[in-house]
Amino acid sequence: MDLGFVKRVIFTSIGRKFVMAVTGLALGAFIIVHLGANLLLMKGEESYNGYVALLLANPLILYAELGLAAIFLLHIATAVWVRWEDWRNAPSGYEERRWQGGRTLGSATMLYTAIAILAFLVYHIVDFRFGDHSVGFYQMVTAAFRDPVFVGIYVAGSLALALHLSHGMQSSFQTLGVNHPKYTPFIKFGGLLVALSMIGFALISVYFLLELDHRKAEHHYQVAATEAR
Amino acid sequence: MSDNKFSVTVRVWRQAGPGGKGRMESYKVPDVSPDMSFLEMLDVLNEDLVRRDESPIAFDSDCREGICGCCGLVVNGDVHGPDEHSTVCQLHMRRFRDGDVITVEPWRVKSFPVLKDLVADRSSLDRIMAAGGYISVNTGAAPDANAIPVDKDDAEEAMDAAACIGCGACVAACPNGSAMLFTGAKISQLALLPQGKPEKARRALAMVEAMDAEGFGNCANEYECEAVCPKDVKVANIARMNREFLLGNFLSKR
Repeated sequence: MDLGFVKRVIFTSIGRKFVMAVTGLALGAFIIVHLGANLLLMKGEESYNGYVALLLANPLILYAELGLAAIFLLHIATAVWVRWEDWRNAPSGYEERRWQGGRTLGSATMLYTAIAILAFLVYHIVDFRFGDHSVGFYQMVTAAFRDPVFVGIYVAGSLALALHLSHGMQSSFQTLGVNHPKYTPFIKFGGLLVALSMIGFALISVYFLLELDHRKAEHHYQVAATEAR
Repeated sequence: MSDNKFSVTVRVWRQAGPGGKGRMESYKVPDVSPDMSFLEMLDVLNEDLVRRDESPIAFDSDCREGICGCCGLVVNGDVHGPDEHSTVCQLHMRRFRDGDVITVEPWRVKSFPVLKDLVADRSSLDRIMAAGGYISVNTGAAPDANAIPVDKDDAEEAMDAAACIGCGACVAACPNGSAMLFTGAKISQLALLPQGKPEKARRALAMVEAMDAEGFGNCANEYECEAVCPKDVKVANIARMNREFLLGNFLSKR
């Protein structure tokens, strides 16, 4: 057994970026599924709690959670390593330096959005994953969404995520060696779409903050009452 | 001859030798012609310094027509000066105005130690080349031209990658000090051609490992390198290097 190829993944620049890219894309896929689940909140208590019950009934859910945690940790660990190396090797001491138009707001802020997302993630997990589930999942989430402070944090978290993905999604493909005159424009556009859709998290929380769900329910109630008359 | 000469002040990095401490020093350069190249302006300043018994400013240059990759300066914060996709020898003084203060600095990269003033030692790039930037050919009579068919598009792309002059601007401009545009171009120019294909896996593995050993940073796909490259080498070459390296690692027998 020659583990040279594994060593190359861990100890070379491109190997580490490979791990970062693969885990980043996996996390991107996860967050899209997560957004889909959040959209069920707008369909009402029954749909959302039904989905949560279905997830929890799966005997593999614990392993899926552990796997997801491992992907997160790998993404963070490789990012820290890569960043630490970059920090040591970056050109320094220029008296004057102008960026030449390659960087974007998203690419230049990857480290800061990463820290913001990580801080949000810790808060999010402590609050929801290990929070009080006795009132029911729908109640727990919507109650939080009616708190302006929570929604403020939530909106900031989703904006950081959108900015992070605006560079991260397309960058992952480049790192994996996928750059093609035909497909790269689509990859870049698709990456931006995924990034933009992260604002959906913010919109859903604001929807509940403004109690638009109550208004919708009132409307239904009134329609039903008129029809019954 | 036009007599529209003007004067500028250059602030130059002066450093006595390798590893020493340096500092910025200001010099006034009168009688600058707009037709001078930037390096000719430095030549004129140096002649003046020699006349005054001061040590001239050391800087690298060779062809002075933008094809050798020797010169490389950061002018007013711009790698290779304010012109896009250009070398600093192709920068002309007509880009400046009377009374301008021009900041001139060397590449400030850990893997390119400054030897003196504006001269940086870029031999780390040569060591990456020595690790595999070649093809192995038996000596003997030259093979017939066109004996091996090459797709025209591949030939063009290989030529575009081979246009890299190894000036190091990509590293100097990179937020992380990564040499991946250089190494990507050097791997690509051979990987695209049939002559380079037999050794492509070992070449990619060896050159990337040599690049890492030189202490360059990692690529964050910010593409500042592509924006400054005087030969307009494309970041698609970095993707090709990533591809060759990953395929070489996972699929070759090495």
